[in-house]
Amino acid sequence: MKAINRRKLVSAGAMLAVAAMTAVAVPAQAFSPKSETGVTSKEIKLGMTLPMTGSASPGYNKVPAAMKAYFDYVNANGGVNGRKVTLVVKDDQYVPTQAVAKTNELILKDRVFALLAPLGTANNKAVAASVNPAKRGVPVLFVNTGFSGFADAKKYPTTYPILPSYVMEAKIMGEYIKDNFAGKTIGLVYQDDDFGTDALAGFKTAGVKFATTVGYASGSQGAATAAGWVTKLKAANCDVVILFGVSSATAAGLGTAAALKYTPQWILGSVGGDATTIKAAGVPAGVLYNAVGASFLPATTDTSDEYVKLFSDIYAKAVPGSAFDNNVLVGMNTAFVAVQALKAAGNNPTRKSLLAAMKSKGSTFASAGLLPLNYSATSQVGYNGYWFGKYSPTGDLKPEGGSYTLYTTDSGTGAVVKSTYKRPAMPAKGLPK
Amino acid sequence: MHKLSNLVRIILFIVLGVVIFILSNIVDEYRVTQGTTIAAYVVGIASIILLTGYSGQVSLGHGALMGVGGYTAALVGDQAGAKLMGETATGVNLPIPLTFVAAILAAAGIGALLGVAAARLSGPYLAGTTLALAVGLPSVANQFKSLGGEQGLFYIVGDPPTALGEGVTQSKWYFWIAALTTLIAIFWLQNVMRSRYGRIWKAVRGSDVAAELAGINVARAKILAFTLSAGLAGLAGALWAMTIGTVSPSAFQLALSFSLLTGAVLSGVTTLGGVMIGAVILVAIPEIVHSVVDRVGASQTVADNLPSLIVSALLILTVIFVPNGPVEQMRSKSMKKKARHH
Amino acid sequence: MFEFINTLLIGLTSGAIYALMALSIVLVWRSTRVINFAQAGQALASSYFGFEALKYVDSFWLALIIAMVGGALLAAFIEIAFMRVMLKHTTSGPIANVAPIIATLGLLQIIHSTIPMKWGGADVLISPPLSNVGFSIGEETLAFSPMKLAIVMLVTLLLLFFTLIFQKTNIGLSLRASAFSPELARLAGVRVDRIRTLGWAFSGATGSVAGLLLVVNGTGSLSPTSLEFSLLLISGFIAAVIGGLESLLGAVIGGLLLGLVTAFVLMYVSDSLFFIAPFIVLLVVLIARPQGILGKKGGRRA
Repeated sequence: MKAINRRKLVSAGAMLAVAAMTAVAVPAQAFSPKSETGVTSKEIKLGMTLPMTGSASPGYNKVPAAMKAYFDYVNANGGVNGRKVTLVVKDDQYVPTQAVAKTNELILKDRVFALLAPLGTANNKAVAASVNPAKRGVPVLFVNTGFSGFADAKKYPTTYPILPSYVMEAKIMGEYIKDNFAGKTIGLVYQDDDFGTDALAGFKTAGVKFATTVGYASGSQGAATAAGWVTKLKAANCDVVILFGVSSATAAGLGTAAALKYTPQWILGSVGGDATTIKAAGVPAGVLYNAVGASFLPATTDTSDEYVKLFSDIYAKAVPGSAFDNNVLVGMNTAFVAVQALKAAGNNPTRKSLLAAMKSKGSTFASAGLLPLNYSATSQVGYNGYWFGKYSPTGDLKPEGGSYTLYTTDSGTGAVVKSTYKRPAMPAKGLPK
Repeated sequence: MHKLSNLVRIILFIVLGVVIFILSNIVDEYRVTQGTTIAAYVVGIASIILLTGYSGQVSLGHGALMGVGGYTAALVGDQAGAKLMGETATGVNLPIPLTFVAAILAAAGIGALLGVAAARLSGPYLAGTTLALAVGLPSVANQFKSLGGEQGLFYIVGDPPTALGEGVTQSKWYFWIAALTTLIAIFWLQNVMRSRYGRIWKAVRGSDVAAELAGINVARAKILAFTLSAGLAGLAGALWAMTIGTVSPSAFQLALSFSLLTGAVLSGVTTLGGVMIGAVILVAIPEIVHSVVDRVGASQTVADNLPSLIVSALLILTVIFVPNGPVEQMRSKSMKKKARHH
Repeated sequence: MFEFINTLLIGLTSGAIYALMALSIVLVWRSTRVINFAQAGQALASSYFGFEALKYVDSFWLALIIAMVGGALLAAFIEIAFMRVMLKHTTSGPIANVAPIIATLGLLQIIHSTIPMKWGGADVLISPPLSNVGFSIGEETLAFSPMKLAIVMLVTLLLLFFTLIFQKTNIGLSLRASAFSPELARLAGVRVDRIRTLGWAFSGATGSVAGLLLVVNGTGSLSPTSLEFSLLLISGFIAAVIGGLESLLGAVIGGLLLGLVTAFVLMYVSDSLFFIAPFIVLLVVLIARPQGILGKKGGRRA
């Protein structure tokens, strides 16, 4: 009898102890119920998910340090209405299910005020469906993806894109192709998910006819699979090839094609077009030379641009030895706009006041973008255009003809037109008012 | 001899259920979501205990079997939440209990096939086959557009019924579903293990040849074990899918199979009694490591990799020094003590 | 036509690397009767040794040799510090036969988590020593370059070397004897423990070559989570199983077969069958010949 009781007690006790351990181990962060989640009198906490490791991470994993560099600069100069901005970064390895888990942590455990620049089309979609930041009222600012669907205020009421959409990019690329490569055989490599299908929709609207399209499954990009892409492109005799994938896919495509001595006219999509990342993956600068690329920000080598000068100075001091590339520029620009949004949210920021500020003041925010931000009460669209350029012999993207010719369009069936936007001057010392 | 009567066991499980319910209302929301993850791990680990601890077969592919369960749930389950998002709701929209049953059956089906193969292989050959399965099966999703590719499918169970009132968050609702399912599954598994089949498996684990001589159909016993174990893994997969809300090939990678195996060994692979230990360790260690790292201020890479390092180190120590697990070790110690006193 | 030849060449090169990996697995199996799942992890670690070495020496080949020595030492350390202890404690009990499998899996995870802590999770680059640009025949370019040629030659060299050692030398005889029957080998005067460590050291060395060659066969980028290494883990093991685990030649055949089939499937069927192809090959072989291509009947129930 005694033995039975003891065993029963031990098993039950073990299970209870273990359940209790879960309950009381390491308490979650305390927060004052009077102020908004993620905001204290000293600090505003933002959260971010992106691939820091994994096959898609090259290039993008520089963004957190870049953003932190700018935030530290602002914090050293008074912060946002007296509060320091901190960024909690979680690695999701570009896997949607991990993005969901890490975002849950950010919202429920780290209790961030808002999500900033989470990366990835599929990741953000999964988070929207499973974690549902909209229902919790959590703002998702400046998502690091160009999926056109995120501008839909009904489906994603608290999500604000900033990058021009893939549909816009594809349409403008289509115009560029019509103007410069009419009559040539065109091929396309794209990622086989919503990121890629968004681009395909844009190309269709632009009327681009492809001789062949090659879709790759996210995560499978590498030298082995790239050999297959090149074979298909060669077989279709493509003169012009658009690489519309992530940086590691672009690098694999370029490198493998060079090894097989296949040299079409390359057009690189903005997502995977960062020259530094491609070169760091072992692709010689000579392969990049004369490829066509696009951006909505000034060229990273354009030291005459006041934003590039300021950001590269800040970055060089914060992360010495690291190259100032397009990922860094995009990151710091996003941080710059984010600071303005936080300031506009007022002296006692709440999630609601942040979202209201985006609607009312979003379009007035200064930024390094050569196109306007289109936020308003009815629009959650950020930038809406690109300039095109060519990669130099050293493999850096420079605008064609030396000056920026900007094209703008929408994510629907609107035409592609030249933009007459003149970017206002940068606030003094890069510190927004 | 030392077995509890069925009535006592039922009461014990009910008490446990009540305790869990009370706890879920006290702790904060993040802990509740962790609880759901623990529940899924418990079922998954139990499936390994059945397969390896009881019938002596090894599988490195249970992560893939979880995937089968998860995908089945996504395909046939009710898509309340997906519809809210304006996504096209895929599937037949079965209610939750039927969805879970479907997940169990689908995974069990694959498990039966695997079991037939497993009966002819052993040791490294079985390990190799299940390893290949673990890696190969998830990528089947990339072959068929209807399976969503790398982006995956949604399985959004949706909001709790309004009848339960305001205080019940979605996280709590999921946790209750998971906890109830887990309690039922473990109770059922315990029944099976105490039955004739449990004894047959233990005999097979001890020695194929001796069992055969004793008149046991070894092949059939092994296949049965594999099938049931796979079904449990499928259920764990459905719970996993519910927690995360999406299924994709990358959610069910080799690392998941390793985690299940690790959790099983840490729990004591030969007995069901400690099944929660492994599950809690798998969830608690990353948690504890992260807070220690935050306080100490070490780099993010350390924070991300230290949990895995610690868990693997625990695994190896357990295999070397406490191969049958802590619960079994305590049991055999107390039995030895008793033997000495008599 | 050229597509076919190119696919053949791609398959041959990657198959050679898989064969090398399978060889290291079979070396451990034949000398200690353990399947070392950590093998791919050791190969990964050795590749990082090579990367470190390249910071101090200029020549890739010298770095390769340093990595081989590093890999051998690492393997020997694992044998002495882990395997001996583990085998001593787990000779009986219900999980006696799965314990080594689980332990080496745990070791794999340990290696996988330690590497990012020292070298970071991001990619590092190892520049291939030879050009990766393919040879040209007329207008067409082959998917075979000086680098790939070097890979195939190096693998062939190592295979011949180890086969010679195993079949023709006393050390090889001692290795085989220690695995077959440790007691008898001891009686015959063989220092079984030392010989086992040697077997592991050999496998560590071959594994490191496989790892480094894998890196330079691709784009030269190395990371803990790289796709190619996951494939190496599985393919090396599957190749060993297909070959029958008992013979070195079987490992080679298994590796080449796997490499060729995967290449053809990727090119002619579909990209995303990357991971399914090895599984299908394994199934087909095990159904047709459960003991592997060159395995002995009855040996599978070891």
